[in-house]
Amino acid sequence: MTTASIPWMQSDVARRPLVERLHDWVTTVDHKRLGILYVVYALVLLVVAGIEAAIMRIQLMAPHNDFVSPQVFNRMFTMHGTTMIFFVAMPLVFGFANYLVPLMIGARDMAFPRLNAFSFWLTAFGGVLLHFSFLGGSGLYGAGTAPDVGWFAYAPLTAKTFSPGHSTDYWTLALLVSGFGSIGTAINILTTILCLRCPGMTLGRMPLFAWLSLTMAGLVILAVSPLSAAQMMLLVDRYLGGHFFDTQAGGSAVIWMHFFWVFGHPEVYVLVIPAFAVVSEIIPVFSRKPIFGYPVMVAATVCIGFISMSVWAHHMFTVGMSPAANGFFVLSTMAIAVPTGIKIFNWLATMWGGTIQFRTPMLFCTGFLFQFLIGGLTGVMLACAPFDWQLGGSYFLVAHFHYVIVGAILFALFGGFYYWFPKVSGRMCSETLGKLHFWLFLIGFHLTFDCMHVPGILGMPRRIYTYEPGRGWDAWNLWVTIGVVFQGLGTLVFVGNLVWSYFEGDRAGSDPWDAWTLEWSTESPPPVYNFAALPVVRSRRPLWDLKHPEDPDWKYEQ
Amino acid sequence: MPNTLEVPAPTAWPLVLAFGTTLLFAGLVTNESLSVLGALLMIAGAVGWFRDVLPQEAHDVVPVRPELPAAVTSRRNVARIELAGELPRAWLPLETYPVSAGIRGGLAGAVAMAVLAMLYGLLSQRSVWYPINLLAAGFFPAAVTASTEQLAAFHLNAFLVAVLIHLLTSLLVGVLYGAMLPMLPRRPILLGGFIAPLMWSGLLYSALGIINPVLNARINWLWFVLSQVGFGVVAGIVVSRHERVRTWQRLPFAVRAGLEAPGLMHEHPEDRGE
Repeated sequence: MTTASIPWMQSDVARRPLVERLHDWVTTVDHKRLGILYVVYALVLLVVAGIEAAIMRIQLMAPHNDFVSPQVFNRMFTMHGTTMIFFVAMPLVFGFANYLVPLMIGARDMAFPRLNAFSFWLTAFGGVLLHFSFLGGSGLYGAGTAPDVGWFAYAPLTAKTFSPGHSTDYWTLALLVSGFGSIGTAINILTTILCLRCPGMTLGRMPLFAWLSLTMAGLVILAVSPLSAAQMMLLVDRYLGGHFFDTQAGGSAVIWMHFFWVFGHPEVYVLVIPAFAVVSEIIPVFSRKPIFGYPVMVAATVCIGFISMSVWAHHMFTVGMSPAANGFFVLSTMAIAVPTGIKIFNWLATMWGGTIQFRTPMLFCTGFLFQFLIGGLTGVMLACAPFDWQLGGSYFLVAHFHYVIVGAILFALFGGFYYWFPKVSGRMCSETLGKLHFWLFLIGFHLTFDCMHVPGILGMPRRIYTYEPGRGWDAWNLWVTIGVVFQGLGTLVFVGNLVWSYFEGDRAGSDPWDAWTLEWSTESPPPVYNFAALPVVRSRRPLWDLKHPEDPDWKYEQ
Repeated sequence: MPNTLEVPAPTAWPLVLAFGTTLLFAGLVTNESLSVLGALLMIAGAVGWFRDVLPQEAHDVVPVRPELPAAVTSRRNVARIELAGELPRAWLPLETYPVSAGIRGGLAGAVAMAVLAMLYGLLSQRSVWYPINLLAAGFFPAAVTASTEQLAAFHLNAFLVAVLIHLLTSLLVGVLYGAMLPMLPRRPILLGGFIAPLMWSGLLYSALGIINPVLNARINWLWFVLSQVGFGVVAGIVVSRHERVRTWQRLPFAVRAGLEAPGLMHEHPEDRGE
């Protein structure tokens, strides 16, 4: 055992040289620092993937455009999708969970701090390996040997015959490495929640954020493992002459689709459940009411987790499965709308009759509610097999899933940024810049993804490089691209706000929002040990009990 | 409160192991020597990591800062509402309709809507089966090419499918009314009878071409809205005439889940030895 004082936890010590501070960051095993690393890493790659999206949208802005070549376009949409899902969205939700879960359940750290660091670095290096592909082959000009098989990498397109060189290998290897990291993080979150709760923090008193993180972690273990297995099989095919997905030698391309979507659809819930978690913490605080129907919210989340494992084949309606299989997956996909609908009703019921304060976090959560409802409804439409046959291969589907991923998940996470930034940095974010960010992003989002539905309905297929004029798609595509500009501006304001507020924002204090969960009971930013003395909890809102000893929650919860 | 606390010591070995793992894989797409280097780094990382935790986990001891002042809030008064009675907190809604009210309302609305729809069939095509066949047409691809005469005739399959759709939808909407009407306790018929049917009709107007193209091509929107309003008014009246029941939000989950255990249920006198 070594005895040391940790300099970065003390604000009154002199600033140390940059190299020493960097050393502290790369050797850290503190869950809060790793959470910040996850989030910063995700933000950097958000900008990268945003640039890739912008390149695609410039290309599609007008018919017969030749801004990039077809091959570069394929690489852009592959890298955009892969980066956004695996290296932006997942690190973001892992970052939030890493930072907040131990604080919320009154623990001093994650269950396995070193595994936590290992998992982060695997995820980070996976992303580096993926983007290193831009330097291979013909270098950055021509996009090197970046993968060009879509984020789904369907067999047999990924076989050596159809995908020579190493572009597909980069995709497989990078995701394999980051997949190990994801599984490690999920095991850590799961164990931490189950084993390290403070005295009195029963499962029935955990903040919804912790419950939802628990569900998310379970889903990651169940969903990412099959993907990693499939990627190993693909590597065997490509390097060792295996035939798992080689239809000419008795393999099956459909098996890849099953493996991929057994991961791919629960993955949507891996991302959206943490978004639910963020919203479930923010809405009650800014409505000044306890969450409506806590047990039902928990039950609905667990239910979503289970059902999400039985909906994958709705991505395969066009493959030609039997009517019975189609029918099962139609029904299971529609069934998931029920617990999801319950959650929406409960958030609305929480707001109903409350004293709502429309600060920036709440604005983003309100946007989330509206957009998630629309994204969910188009999801129910696409759950109908005949509808999916018509529009599943069109821009309508692209609009649908961006409505969910951006309109719901990203909006909720933006809300989470503004809500917890004071806790992480000790400074308040600028409300003015926050609201400017919200409105720019909201306008940009709706311009982009509302308009994207229409060319889809008019028959514009997904993944096309260019198109003929006069099909009714031109103006819509132009609007979509203009929307991307607004979103880009909004993102710049957001990043600028974070940087400015970190240095110049007002001091936050430990509990700037008058909130109720345990993370607000410690300093901002929290010390390395989180809590000097482990808290004792008697209800779901321990800070309410502390602040209102005359009317504590535990009287009602029993 | 302790003066010092132990926290896990920082270590670079997880980083080294992760970097080695990545290089091992990266060698497959670049050069074999990278894989060899990666394997060496992995071994070094694993050994270093083991030495960090075996035989005893490495810790740093950090000083604990003085305790924070107790949490305070500027809102010293708990928000209370008049209707809450003995409840000092804002648990909303306090009352709702029982599920049975929603089911009865849904069934009554279903009858009213069916009568209006069949009346439309009689007046426009002299057949009560016409609207029934239109409703079922979404399930039968052949219906796309059916003539008006065919749609006006009785078809058992179409009848069964239409009844099933109509009943299920009506029950679902009826139960929803039961849940939603307490939100507008003063004007239930306004919400149930007019606003909801109009919104629902607007939604269907924009989507019906995809869901049921046959119905979309032949629908008379005036009668459609009338039928919906008929459903809404009748269901709304039936539901709102039921006595409302207290919601269970403030009760412990065990009671709400119907668990029977001492302390949660009324005990028989003989169990108490009386």
